[in-house]
Amino acid sequence: MTKHFPHRHSPARRGTAAIGLALLALMTACSPSAPSPSGSPGGSAAATTALTVGLGYVPNVQFAQFYLAQRAGYYRDAGLSVTFENKIDPDLIRLVGLGSVDIGIADGTSVIPAVSQGIPIKYVATIYAKFPNVVYAKASSGINSAADLKGRKLGTPGKYGSSWIMLQALLDSVGLKPSDLDIQLYPDFGQGTALTQSAIDAATGFVNNEVVQLELDGTKAKVLTVDQAVPLPGNGLIAGTRTIETKRAALRAFVAATLRAMAEITADPQKGLDASIAAVPALGQNPTIQLAVLKATIATWSDAYTQAHGAGSIDRAAWSTTVAFIARLPDSPISGTPPTLDQLLDESLLPS
Amino acid sequence: MSARAPSLEVPPGTTREPTPPSAISVRGLDFGYRSGSRARSAVAGLSFEVAHGELVAVIGANGTGKSTLLKLIGGLLTPDAGSIFVDGEAVRGPEARVGLVFQEPRLLPWRSTLSNVAFPLELAGWTSAARVARAAELLELVGLADVADLRPHQLSGGMRQRASIARALALEPSVLLLDEPFSALDALTRERFNDQLQGIWRQTGSTILIVTHSIPEAIFLADHVLVLSGRPGRLAAQVPIELPRPRTVNELDAAIGSAAAATIRGALQLDTRDADPGEVAP
Amino acid sequence: MTRWLLRDLLPTAAVAAVVLALWKLLVVLGGYPAFVLPAPEVVAARLVQAFADGTMEPNLWATLVEIAIGFAIGAGFAVVTGYLLARSHLVERLLSPYLVAAQATPILALAPLITLWFGTGLLSKVIICALIVFFPVAVATMVGVRSVDRQLLEMGRAFRATRAQVLLKLEVPGALPSIFGGIRVGATLAVIGAIIGEWAGGETGLGVLINLARGSLFDTPLLFATLVTIAALGVTLYLAIAAIEHRLVGERG
Repeated sequence: MTKHFPHRHSPARRGTAAIGLALLALMTACSPSAPSPSGSPGGSAAATTALTVGLGYVPNVQFAQFYLAQRAGYYRDAGLSVTFENKIDPDLIRLVGLGSVDIGIADGTSVIPAVSQGIPIKYVATIYAKFPNVVYAKASSGINSAADLKGRKLGTPGKYGSSWIMLQALLDSVGLKPSDLDIQLYPDFGQGTALTQSAIDAATGFVNNEVVQLELDGTKAKVLTVDQAVPLPGNGLIAGTRTIETKRAALRAFVAATLRAMAEITADPQKGLDASIAAVPALGQNPTIQLAVLKATIATWSDAYTQAHGAGSIDRAAWSTTVAFIARLPDSPISGTPPTLDQLLDESLLPS
Repeated sequence: MSARAPSLEVPPGTTREPTPPSAISVRGLDFGYRSGSRARSAVAGLSFEVAHGELVAVIGANGTGKSTLLKLIGGLLTPDAGSIFVDGEAVRGPEARVGLVFQEPRLLPWRSTLSNVAFPLELAGWTSAARVARAAELLELVGLADVADLRPHQLSGGMRQRASIARALALEPSVLLLDEPFSALDALTRERFNDQLQGIWRQTGSTILIVTHSIPEAIFLADHVLVLSGRPGRLAAQVPIELPRPRTVNELDAAIGSAAAATIRGALQLDTRDADPGEVAP
Repeated sequence: MTRWLLRDLLPTAAVAAVVLALWKLLVVLGGYPAFVLPAPEVVAARLVQAFADGTMEPNLWATLVEIAIGFAIGAGFAVVTGYLLARSHLVERLLSPYLVAAQATPILALAPLITLWFGTGLLSKVIICALIVFFPVAVATMVGVRSVDRQLLEMGRAFRATRAQVLLKLEVPGALPSIFGGIRVGATLAVIGAIIGEWAGGETGLGVLINLARGSLFDTPLLFATLVTIAALGVTLYLAIAAIEHRLVGERG
């Protein structure tokens, strides 16, 4: 009697067909919408040009200059109709590269890998002249310089991103590596709490966020910045190369209006706070904290270079050093030839 | 029980002279199924003897407790009252000396036929080599030697039932109980299997108690026939079958019209006014 | 061999080729740049490169280990629990509400908590995998054990099977087809569990690589190459289980 097996599709056929369908589904899900032609080329001063502006993930007092420029009518006066969108950094960079968002804020250390992967964006204006991501500790911890970090417990969200590059740069300047420290990972960004509870000795964080929180809680903080070690470029405005060509005038006007708002807020922080609360009422719940954050933010907006060359100016030498530093990191985010400064930067949108 | 039909029942309570113990001795057997608060009596006051080496048929309509009787003798159920002795020892549970063949083959679908037949040996702790040898013997006996490696789903219904019989014989039981083993087969195959069972019985010399609802089958196979009727099932008659051995199927046709058949039929119809007369195969 | 080639491999390869062609067509027609939707040959090249330069393999093994251990623990507990649920009404009444409640809580919400409590290393991923695998395997076991033919169990009693023999020779083999159904589902879920666990916090693994490719490296071809690797991992596991099932369960008609 011959054996006969029940008739059914073999697992192999089923499995690989499943791969095919899954891939199809995945790529439709992963890719944002196709680019559509936007705006009017050139943009005359008479007609209003619509601009989509990408800010960071959550509406925040750190974007006070944008809220002020919007509310005070600086964008409108320049013939711009500005819409804000909140996105996380990686998505924002891709959307700007695609042209779906006209201009946005991005971290300088993210721009470099993105451009090296062929994403067509340019860094067009400096917002944070000082790198906002820092290593900080309680003043009582006895950590006074990067060298003191050796063998200590340091908390950080993960071994990637701007904080990781900053940490490596800071340690490199005193001849240390992350492996010389006891790194604790806090993927939920709880390193600030851990530091407050003294579970760790030091942490990475933002000078206008975690550090402010610590000091408002009544603890004096010691902050180690990376600017003297490696002058990493902080957050700035980025735009797609095609957008720069088609909306040059509009983007220039936007940059100018934004820098003007920044100058006003630097002189009178309360103005920035009022504009932020008007745009994001939830911020009005704890104005003291917001003002402290804003002041810390304002402090990063200028450094020796911007004071000498004007607000928003881009320090090419700093970028050059940074690219070289990132290129020689182990597991460097730059693959292949490092991008050139001309591929990374476009200063033509700055006020002359 | 009526005095009208000739019968050889043993009235309960009769004292007996000391004799060698019967293969099966049932006295005053009562059993009822309980579900929740309801109780349904299946058999009541059953008493009979089966001598060594006899082939006895138990016949009765549905609901007269035939399967229950077999499970009681096989030790799968415990009587409410009365006693059951096999080879002179009381039955306390399933034992190696009693082999059971169910109405369904009840083979394990994930094992080969050989492995299924060897199953009781495996449970009893036999070594692998011994199991294979004995199982091969048994398959030979029932004529399944060339399907040893096939799985039950690859066998016909009749072959599966034969495998089930072979399995029941594995531990050489002195008593073999079969519960309507051929009722799922067509009439022609059934005749053939009746013949084969007679052959197996003569070869092994075991005592066989077979439950059936076929009068021809009972007459063909049995030395005497126990007739159960009524709900709960009671022993309505014990009918001896005087046909010479070995019996052939041709003689069977003559037997159908015989006096014994009439007696059995008569006893079946007693006290079964409520039962559907179509429940017993003519 | 030729039969397998014609019956299984050729149709599968044909479907794959069509999918790849559609993908390429989509990229060309939509004009998508590589950083949004890379073409199949770009992803393939990046996949090869990722294996060649040692990016992919360590992460692949890391995720595989999480899946293997997590699945083993989860399925192991699940089979035992499933058996108890099947055979004991008391256990079922006591445990069922909690099991269902645990299953209803999305693993995506639990994962960060588990990582918080158990750290960002292997342990939290193993726990998450085990949790995600547990319910389907437990239910499949329970259903399978309950569905074992009572007539077979009675037959076993007739031949004086001990409790252990009933369990090992009747209940387990009888429940095996159903258990394997649960295991197939569990295996694919385990892959998801491992990735989610890595997203909640981890240093190595295919999920971590996805995050890196997306957020730090801006390497979309690598992102897709990692997705392909994950899919291949899932399919391989599924096929392996199907093969084991074929061996253990076999044809039962």
